[in-house]
Amino acid sequence: MPSTFHSIETAKRSLFTQTAALNTTGHNIANANTEGYTRQTVKMRASIPMEAYGINRSNVPGQLGTGVEFDAIERIREKFLDSQYRGENTELGSWTIRSNTLDKLQQIMNEPSDTGIRKVLDNFYKSWSDLSKDPESVTARTIVKENALALTDAMNHMSKQLSNLSADLTSNVEAKSSELQSYVNSIADLNQSITKIEGLGDNANDLRDQRDLIVDKISKIVNVTVTDTDQGYNVNMGGQALVTGFAPTTGINGAFLQAAFASNDLQGGEIHGMIISRDQFVADYTAQMDNLANTLANGDISVTLPKGSVLPEGTVLNGVTYTGTNRTLQSDLTVTVKGLNGLHQLGYTQEDKDANGNMVAGKPFFVASNNGGAITAGNITLNTAIVDNPNAIAASLRVTGTAPTEELVKGNNTLASLMSNLKLNNFTSVSTGNKATIDSFFSSMVGQLGIEAQEATRQTQNSTALVSQVETMRQSVSGVSLDEEMSNMIKFQHAYSAAARFMTTFDQLLDKLINSTGVVGR
Amino acid sequence: MRVTNNMLSSQLLLNLNRNSERMNNTQNQMATGRKLNKPSDDPVGITYSLRYRSELSSNEQYQRNVDSAVSWLDFNDTVMDQAGQIMQRVRELTVQASTGTNPQSALDSINKEIGQLKEQMIDVVNSQLNGKYIFNGQTYDKKPYDLPLNADNTHDTSGAASIATDTGNVNFIVGENVALPINVTGNEVVGTSTDADNLFTIFNQLSAALASGDIKASGDQLANIDTRMDKMLKVRSEMGAKSNRVELMQSRLSDLEVNLTDLQSKTEDADYAELLMNSKIQENIYNASLSAGAKIISASLVDFLR
Repeated sequence: MPSTFHSIETAKRSLFTQTAALNTTGHNIANANTEGYTRQTVKMRASIPMEAYGINRSNVPGQLGTGVEFDAIERIREKFLDSQYRGENTELGSWTIRSNTLDKLQQIMNEPSDTGIRKVLDNFYKSWSDLSKDPESVTARTIVKENALALTDAMNHMSKQLSNLSADLTSNVEAKSSELQSYVNSIADLNQSITKIEGLGDNANDLRDQRDLIVDKISKIVNVTVTDTDQGYNVNMGGQALVTGFAPTTGINGAFLQAAFASNDLQGGEIHGMIISRDQFVADYTAQMDNLANTLANGDISVTLPKGSVLPEGTVLNGVTYTGTNRTLQSDLTVTVKGLNGLHQLGYTQEDKDANGNMVAGKPFFVASNNGGAITAGNITLNTAIVDNPNAIAASLRVTGTAPTEELVKGNNTLASLMSNLKLNNFTSVSTGNKATIDSFFSSMVGQLGIEAQEATRQTQNSTALVSQVETMRQSVSGVSLDEEMSNMIKFQHAYSAAARFMTTFDQLLDKLINSTGVVGR
Repeated sequence: MRVTNNMLSSQLLLNLNRNSERMNNTQNQMATGRKLNKPSDDPVGITYSLRYRSELSSNEQYQRNVDSAVSWLDFNDTVMDQAGQIMQRVRELTVQASTGTNPQSALDSINKEIGQLKEQMIDVVNSQLNGKYIFNGQTYDKKPYDLPLNADNTHDTSGAASIATDTGNVNFIVGENVALPINVTGNEVVGTSTDADNLFTIFNQLSAALASGDIKASGDQLANIDTRMDKMLKVRSEMGAKSNRVELMQSRLSDLEVNLTDLQSKTEDADYAELLMNSKIQENIYNASLSAGAKIISASLVDFLR
């Protein structure tokens, strides 16, 4: 026989359980837009039925239901989707940064435009061509000087922008690494809290959500793998542990991540993108620009000096020293000289004669501003002797007479013409040994940048699509559907109402029994 | 598959973003008029674009150089024309002097005119264009026939015949690896010291013959005058041929400019008709996704449950 009040207990359990379910529904609705939130359900089950007690087995039929109870509030989530999401998110992080950097590089290159390096280079050659028409003119020389300065300024500026970009990336790595450090610390803390709570048998659903969300965020910064242990999440970046149980890896900084990049533990994420951007892209274009500057100044070029040209006293070309009467070329001479600088030194300036009464030969045209070092895009500058005195530009390749009465043939424009023709000359790259015109070096660099940027944009779009696809699948499993919650709410509300009605019914039953029976004759 | 509210809104947002990005791209192309705005827009095109731009720039310079060459050649022609006229007059006077009916006073006045013509000729062969002595080769900063003055302020031309002008060519670059010598040396016009028909030799001998009334000697100069005039005409026709060549070059360069600009435009420029079409299509798609979004987002069970 069940107890008289058994059904009241059953009704009460029902009320409590439906309340809990309603409460969870409310919690779900409230968090419909919470980032990283996983919908929760109340696991209901019929509570353990009872047998009527007695010395012998009761002969009352069946087991007596005792109503409902809930044993857990669970998150609905698929682990597989998490790891897939994180993998794609890592790719996205890396490609986004790479694509951004390449976009910035494209802005720095500033092509096609009428203000880029190519344009100033063209102007530089053009001013030599103009000088070739008026080789004696100081105005034309000043224009050559100004255009040369514009060229070196443009290169210096670009080099500066490249090194700024590189420095930005380095400081971004540091900033991101401290962000990563704080995430790692949070995960260790959450591991501890979750273990504590779940040790008591509860599900720390919301804390787990937070922890998963943080892992998602980390996955954008670096590549992660997660193993779920009794001590919480162990988070690894490649073979490098970031969190083991309650212990976060401390000292995550630029050097730590650089080492991880070198050991191949760091294979994705924003930091990976930054390091690749800096060490591959920016470094590569910096090197190419440096090479361009140095090759223009010093790369081997083959030029043909026309017959009748007079080489400066003591010039050594192809192992032949030109001195005295053999300075005057009897036939066209094709020689290899060291870039624009080498060519410039074959000609004569309009300066006063030197101590021996010879006309002054050209000086190196471009020099490194730090004196003596190799010329780079950053330090290339016009020889100060030329900046101070445009007459120090050599345009002529001819003198008449001999020292001390040697005289400059001012109208000889051979050198100026050769200079303006350098646009078509193949230079031998100082660093790679490749032969091409300066224009080709530059346009191949721009072309390479275009391809890399296009590839990065495409990869970014692809990984964005993949991430959003996986995220959609994840949302499909774990996201809150308001329609669903509303229908659940109504379901639970009705269940609650019905349970309450059941209690009222039973209350009336008892009322009848207690207050309305045994009153005969009253 | 379960579809949640977040999925709907994030999908909508994603689509709207994608559409507006496309619209932005199209509008950017319309605003700049170019489909090639940065290297990644067309990595292969950019290398062509850079080459066309660079070739256009060279072309522009060649055109400028050709223009200078033209003015130099035109000036040469003018000067040679003047020289020719002087020679024509000298010839007339010589013929006149050689008839044998002239009294010495007439010969003297002819001689005076010859003297003046010589002065004129000295001016001509010392002609300057933009401060350059055009008949002195590469040493055009120096006067080629820098003759001392006599007491009567005329030039002493006794040593003039032996003057050697510079033989260097003044080369203008008028195309890729095309250097065009545009000058004529003084010696080509006047003759060298060994030429019997050196202009100054002719003048001097003519003057001497006229002064002494030696009609035969002055008549003998006619042959020299004729060969010199032939040589000067030859120089002039060479200049003319060069002018023709430069003019051809000029039109070739402007043709090339048109071609290059055309190629550049094909690589860089946007196709407006296509862009406008795309823009319209994208606008429609955007509007459609907006209105679809408005419908999806508003409808929820919440609205219908009371």
